[in-house]
Order: sequence, then C-alpha cells, then structure tokens
Amino acid sequence: MKTLKKTVPVSVMAGLEKHGVSVDSVRYAVCADMDNDGGLRNSYLLVTQTKLIFAVSDQSEEMVFSGAAPAKYRCPEGIGELYDYDLKRLANPKIIDQVVGGLFAVDIDGVETWICRFSGAKMREMRRFCTALNCILTDKELPEETDEDVEYCPKCGMPYPEKGRNVCPKCMVKRTIFFRILTYFKPYRLRIALIFVCMIVSGILSAISPYLTGTVLYDKVFAKDMAFTESLGIPGNFVLALLLLVLSSGLVMILQQIVGVIQGRNNASLVPGVVAQIKGTVFEALQKLSIGFFTRRQTGSLMQRVNGDANEVMGFFIDGLPYLLYNVFTFLFAFIIMFGMDWRLALVSFFMLPPMFYVSYRLLPRLWHAYGRRSRTVRTLYSVLNDGISGARVVKAFGQEEYENRRFEKVNDRVRNSEIQIVSYGNRFEITYSLAREIPNLLVFCIGAIFILQVPGAFTYGKLITFMNYLGMMQGPMQFFSHIFRWWSGSMNAAQRIFEIIDAKPDVVEKENPEYLDIKGDIVLKDVCFGYEPNKSVLKNIGFSVKAGEMLGIVGKSGAGKSTLVNLISRLYDVESGEITLDGVNIKDIAFSSLRGAVAMVSQETYIFMGTIAENIAYAKPDASRMEIVRAAMAANAHQFICRLPDGYDTIIGSGGRELSGGERQRLSIARAILANPRILVLDEATASVDTETERAIQESLEKLIKGRTTISIAHRLSTLRDADYLIVLDRGELVESGTHSELVAKRGEYYKLLQLQSKALAMRGVGD
Amino acid sequence: MLKEKIKDHDDILEQQNKVVEDIITVRKITKDNAVFSRTQGGFVSLCYTGDDSEAKEYGRVAVHRCFPHSDPTHYISIREPDGDGREIGLIEDLNELPKDMREMLEEQMNLRYFAPKILKVRHIREEYGYSYWDVVTDKGACRFTVRMGGGNVYPIGKNRYLINDLDGNRFEIPDLYKLSAREIKQLDLFI
Repeated sequence: MKTLKKTVPVSVMAGLEKHGVSVDSVRYAVCADMDNDGGLRNSYLLVTQTKLIFAVSDQSEEMVFSGAAPAKYRCPEGIGELYDYDLKRLANPKIIDQVVGGLFAVDIDGVETWICRFSGAKMREMRRFCTALNCILTDKELPEETDEDVEYCPKCGMPYPEKGRNVCPKCMVKRTIFFRILTYFKPYRLRIALIFVCMIVSGILSAISPYLTGTVLYDKVFAKDMAFTESLGIPGNFVLALLLLVLSSGLVMILQQIVGVIQGRNNASLVPGVVAQIKGTVFEALQKLSIGFFTRRQTGSLMQRVNGDANEVMGFFIDGLPYLLYNVFTFLFAFIIMFGMDWRLALVSFFMLPPMFYVSYRLLPRLWHAYGRRSRTVRTLYSVLNDGISGARVVKAFGQEEYENRRFEKVNDRVRNSEIQIVSYGNRFEITYSLAREIPNLLVFCIGAIFILQVPGAFTYGKLITFMNYLGMMQGPMQFFSHIFRWWSGSMNAAQRIFEIIDAKPDVVEKENPEYLDIKGDIVLKDVCFGYEPNKSVLKNIGFSVKAGEMLGIVGKSGAGKSTLVNLISRLYDVESGEITLDGVNIKDIAFSSLRGAVAMVSQETYIFMGTIAENIAYAKPDASRMEIVRAAMAANAHQFICRLPDGYDTIIGSGGRELSGGERQRLSIARAILANPRILVLDEATASVDTETERAIQESLEKLIKGRTTISIAHRLSTLRDADYLIVLDRGELVESGTHSELVAKRGEYYKLLQLQSKALAMRGVGD
Repeated sequence: MLKEKIKDHDDILEQQNKVVEDIITVRKITKDNAVFSRTQGGFVSLCYTGDDSEAKEYGRVAVHRCFPHSDPTHYISIREPDGDGREIGLIEDLNELPKDMREMLEEQMNLRYFAPKILKVRHIREEYGYSYWDVVTDKGACRFTVRMGGGNVYPIGKNRYLINDLDGNRFEIPDLYKLSAREIKQLDLFI
C-alpha cells in the first residue's frame, strides 16, 4: 500500500509488529479519530491478507480537525487496544451515518457489528475504506488509491480551511489579486489619474492653512515683522497684511471645496461603472458554470458574492486607495514641515504617535463589532415586526397577540441593550483615544513652551501654534493607517472569492469540435453509473433504449434516482462511467446548442422569470411571434386564464409581480416547452403538485405535446403513465424491472406491487380509477 | 335547562376529543409491550409485542430524539434502521423503562448525537472569514475551524450554544456563564 506511511505513523507500525501484524501484509489502512467511548484520539483500521485490525492509539493528545494547523510536536503513539477479525468471517461492510460522523460496521458471522466510530472529518476516508474492504471481501480489484484528501498550502503548511476550495487565506497572493483588479480600471485611466491629482492637491492645500493661521499670523502679522510687509510690497501696513492673510485663507478653503466637488463628481461617475463591469463579468462566468456548481453552493451566498464582494472590492479601490495616498501625503508633508521648523520637537512628536496608533488599532474593531451586533438585532426586530404584521391573520386567528407582544418585547430589549453597549463602548473608546491623542499633544506643547522660554528667538509662539496644528494633522492619517491593512485584506479576500467564480471551470464542458446534429430522438443508455459524491452512487449500471417518438415511463420511490437519470440525459451532469447516446452519438460529442435545443423539460418546480407572461412562454424562443405564443398557450390550456387577467399576456409575473397558482405556473411551463418544440421531452412529475381537475387539464395539454416526440415521463401516479410504450422501475439507483405495462403486470413484481398499492389507496379514498 | 345544555355541550366536546385521539394514533412503546436488548454487534434490537397485529422483532433499531436539545429524555423515536427509516413507535418517557434498557438506548443515542462539550476555551482567533478554535472538551482537547458569517454558532437553550465546524462536527457550550470572563470575551464575537 503506497499511502500507508502517511496514514499510519512509524511508532504505531512498530506496535503493530509487536502484536504480530506484519506491516508488509497491510493492503489498506485508514486513520479514524475516536475511541469506542467517543474520546478524541487516533485509531487505525487496517486490512491485512487475512485480518481486519482495529487499533486504538494510547495517546490522546489534542485532535486537529480541518482547517487547524497540524501540531508541531506529537508524542510517538503506541497501541492501546487492538482488536482483530478474521476476514473470512466478515461480510457486507458499511457506514452507518449518525448526526455527526458515523459508525463503521460489518457483519461478523452474519451478526451486524460496529467496529469503530469516527467524526465528520473522517467521513470521506472511511467511505473509501469501506469500498476498499468490500472489494477485498468480494475478491474485486481495489479501487485506485487517491491522495487528494487533506491538501496543504504549499507555502505555510496549513491545511486549506475548506475542502475543495484550495485557497489559503493567509498566503493568498494579495498583490496579484490587486493588480488583476487594477486591470478593470484600465478603461478609466484618466478618471483615476484625476482622483489622485485631486487627492494630492487637497493634501497640499490642507497643509497650507496651518502655516497661514499659525506662523504667518502670529510671528509675521501680530509680531509686526517689517520684513514680511516689505516682501508683500506694503511696508508697515499690518491691517492690510491681515486682510490679505484672511483672504488667502479663504481662497485656500474655497479651493479645497472645489477640489472636493470635482473629486465627488468624478467618483460618482466612475464607481458604478466599474462595479457594474465586475458584476457583469461574474454573472457571465456564473452562467457558464455547470449545474453542479450551483447545487454545491448555497444560492444565497452566491448572490451575496456577486453583490457584496464587488462592492467591497470597489470600496477599497475608490475610497481606500486615494485616501491612503491623501493620508500619506498629508502625513509626510506635515512631518517635513515640522522637521524643518524644529527637528528636535518633530522627533519628540513622532515618537508620541505609536500609542495612538495602538489604541485605534485595538479598540476601534470592538466598536465596529458593537455596531455589527446592533444591526443584527435590528434585523431580528424587523423580522419579528414582519411576523406580527404580515402574519397578523394567523396571530389573530390563534389569539396569540400577547405572545407576539412578549416576543417583540424580548427582541426590543436586545436592541436597547445593544444600543446602550454602543454608547458605552463608544464613550470608552472616545476617552481612551482622546487621552492617547491629547497627552502627547500636551507634552509636545510643554516641551515647545520650554523651548520658547529657554532659547529666546529660536522658537516663537506662532511657530508653536503652527507646530501643534501640524501635529494634529498627522493624527488623522495615523488612525487611518491603523485599520487600512484590515480593510485591504478584507477587500482582497472578497476579490479572491470573485475570481474564484470567474476562474471556476465548468464540470460539464463542450467538446472542442462538437457535432451539430438534427436530433431525431433515439436514446440509448449503456451501463450508466453516477453519484453526486464519490463513493455514494445514485445510479448503478442503468441501461435501456427508447426509439424516436416513443414514450418511456420511469417509476420508482422518491430518492430512487429518477430525476438524476433525467439530468444525465439533458447533460446537466456527466456520467461517471458508461455512456448515453442520442441517435447513436455519445452526448459528450454533441454540441450544447444541438443538445439543449433538442431537449426540453417540464418539471415539478416551475421557475417563473421576472417579466411578462409572453416573455416567460417565449423563454426558449425569444423571437417567437405573438401568434405562436398564443397558440402555445392554447395548447397548454393556459390561454383561458391568461385572457381573464386584466393585463392579459402583458401581465408581469415573477418576483414582485402577480402571483400565479401552482397549476397556472405548471401550464405556463408546458406552454414554454410546446413553443420550444423539442424532439425529446422530459416530464419530471409535471402534474404532481396540482389538484385533480387541473391535473386533467394539464394531462390533456400534455397529450397534445407528447405526440410525435420522444418522451421521458417520471410520475408518482402510475395512471399518468398509461400511454407509455415502455416502463422502467428504479429502486435505490438500480433498474429492477422493465417492459410494457401489461408485461410488468403479468410479472407481478415491483411495478405490480406499486400499482396495487396505489389503486388500494384510491379505492380507500373512494376515488377509484 | 341551562345546566343540561352545558352538560350536552360537554358531552359533545368529550366525544370530539375522543375522535381526534382515534385519528391520531401514536404507537407508544412502553415497558409492557417492548423488550430492548443489546445485540452482539453493539446495537440494540427490539422485540415488539404490541397488542396490534404489527408485533414484530427488529434485529437492529435506530434511536432518535424528537427534542434533542430541549427534552432529551422524552419522546424517543424508535425507527427501522435502513431504507426510509419508518418509525416503529415512540417512547414517551425514557425513565419509565427499566434501567438496563434505558442505558442501552442512551448508548445508542450517544453514538448518534456526538457533540463534545466545551469545558475550556483556550484560544479563538478570527482571521479572513474563518475562526480557529482551540478548546478542551469532555472528549479531549481539540482544535477546529468555523466558517464566519452566521449560522454556525447558535443558541439551543438558555446560555447553551451549539457550534458547527467545517467538518460538520458539532460542539456544545453547555452553559456560557460557567466559563470564565476571559473565555466569554473571546466568544463575544459569536454570541
């Protein structure tokens, strides 16, 4: 076994040798993470030539689950307990799922026995082990060893926090992401340049005013500096000089405002453009992905990604970056001026800054956290409010006004508490931060004052005022710097998530030179196996054929794999092994456009897109004429109810639009399929969720639709499948029976049982069939 | 006259209650109609001798709690282990069963509802959308990772919390206020 060394530590192997287990004879091994009392410790399952061995480690050091860094040092493990079982006595190994993790069980001499427990972290490995042991017991070939389990970041050695998402949040190359985002700004180069120019100009402008109101005012005007007035060309006229000073201060202020306005306008026209562009790219990428991507991830979190992440990234680039530049400028500018005025005092002030930086770095996040908590409680409050108002009918019907009041009160209290917390946190932060800011100020002021007293002439009062102003100017950027890193890494993380979608490779890909066919509708399946997860097969060795124009009925309990089978035929997923052919061509070789154009599906879940009824019917054929749409609706028995609506075919439906009933939606989706005019029609429980009368109407329209097409119909109610030319019965992923209705009835097998069951149920309800 | 009317009314009510009870039949499993025993393989088997026609022996049964957090010793659902896991019957109060049966059922439930109790929080670090936990539990020390962004740490009772980690493992904080102030402060981010 190749991966044995990785699975079983050397010390354990030595222990095994002592127990008479030859390491060379091990054919398969796995490491679980619990002893039989549920204590967290390593345990090992090994299959040798003749035995199954379960050994529990004698060390119970801390257990490390996914995402956590492996321990630096571990005591060498020995073997605490050891159990062995003769392979000859074993049969039927299996995993019994528990709420958390599972049990590995096997029949020993026919008695079902559980051998070992494990947590969710070991589920995959244990399943693989189970498959392998089954192969060994039934003398089949061992599946190939895969080595993909825990993947580690090659840089820092940490395991990736999430399986299947090979991103190490720590080592993610933020710089590359940064530059990649920058490419989105390329078309806006001029505007970006304008932002930076504005920032620099306003940085310089804000650095001028302290000089004017400090040094110039006190040391030149108030101190009646003749040289100053002479240089202005107005010797001795200090009132005019003061006036000029006020004017220039005003001018600086006006300039600052103008720059601000330009900046704001520029941003306003730039940001939405880039955000929209990124969202567009992500959405396009999403459309390219296979259906598996969407089922693996929650749709909600996807939506949030597209929206929130794009905003977060842009927030940093539009607000963060220019302000960073602005702050760096102001900081440097202020420091240089301060240094030029008096380098000793400048140095002293410089060393006063770190405490402030620290306070802001440590305490500000806590304040944000308090704000976050408040918004969460407010959201809960809204949902309770919504329950009480939107659900008013139910509340009143059950007379639960008091209960709702109490519920509201509880949440209301929580909101109040979180508000109080914000105020108290806010106060604490304000006080600490002010202290961290004012004490250095005071110190610098004192030192400056001493300078004035001690070294007359070298340092003036005006200089000190200017100096203090610049010191104040340096403190704003300090606070900004203290959290810019957090901001940056948050936004890079969001960008990484966006790029993950953009770069994701679809599982189902079109062949390079696909065949474009006019599909007739002969379907053949050969030995098709499929599973959504490895080692958990949903379909096993399915094979059947349907001739063009025939109707195939698929029967089976829920969870038997019926819908999965249909998904494979329309190639929403690819088969694991075996093949599916249409008109003798493997569907993997057929162009998506030919395939998707030939297959249409009417399923139980009807999806209505936002738009008019006409647009929804014409979804698969947007260029359909009005006449075609009306005819399709008529064929689907939908025309009647549509015409009764005040806005007819122009009625807006979908989210936010008019609500349609289940049967109406169903009929629209049938109309959609009729208009698409597919060669192969898939009906997946098309009438399962409607009442009998509607079902009859839908059935009627379906009959029109079925004529002349290859139809695959899945139904719970066997009566729906009366017209099927051929039926297959699935049970837990296996094809158990097939044949025509009468053949299957004559066989008295699974189909017959189902039929009996249903007619009995109908008879009991007095419906009959 | 009025009294009679009220009596009539009560009769009707009683009748109605009886009808409702008849419709909703809960198959109860009690010490009188069922015998649980340990199997050699570490599971529990059931010999059901109910008065209805469905008396049957089950080689292995699955034991589920209806209220795993709020009432772990009542309403224990005994189910068939494979396939659809149909319910065989409901134990209303575990404490009414003989001690040995109670213990063997509890063993099965401990297998099913594995959730180490966090005794000590050594360290929690939040970084880039994940939080890294270093804790001591009643089952041993361990470190695990929780995805941030809500839903993975949630209350299951007064001051009781459940934590889902990336592996789908569950950890329980039995009583938040039994932890030290320093530990609570670390948990502040989630609660």
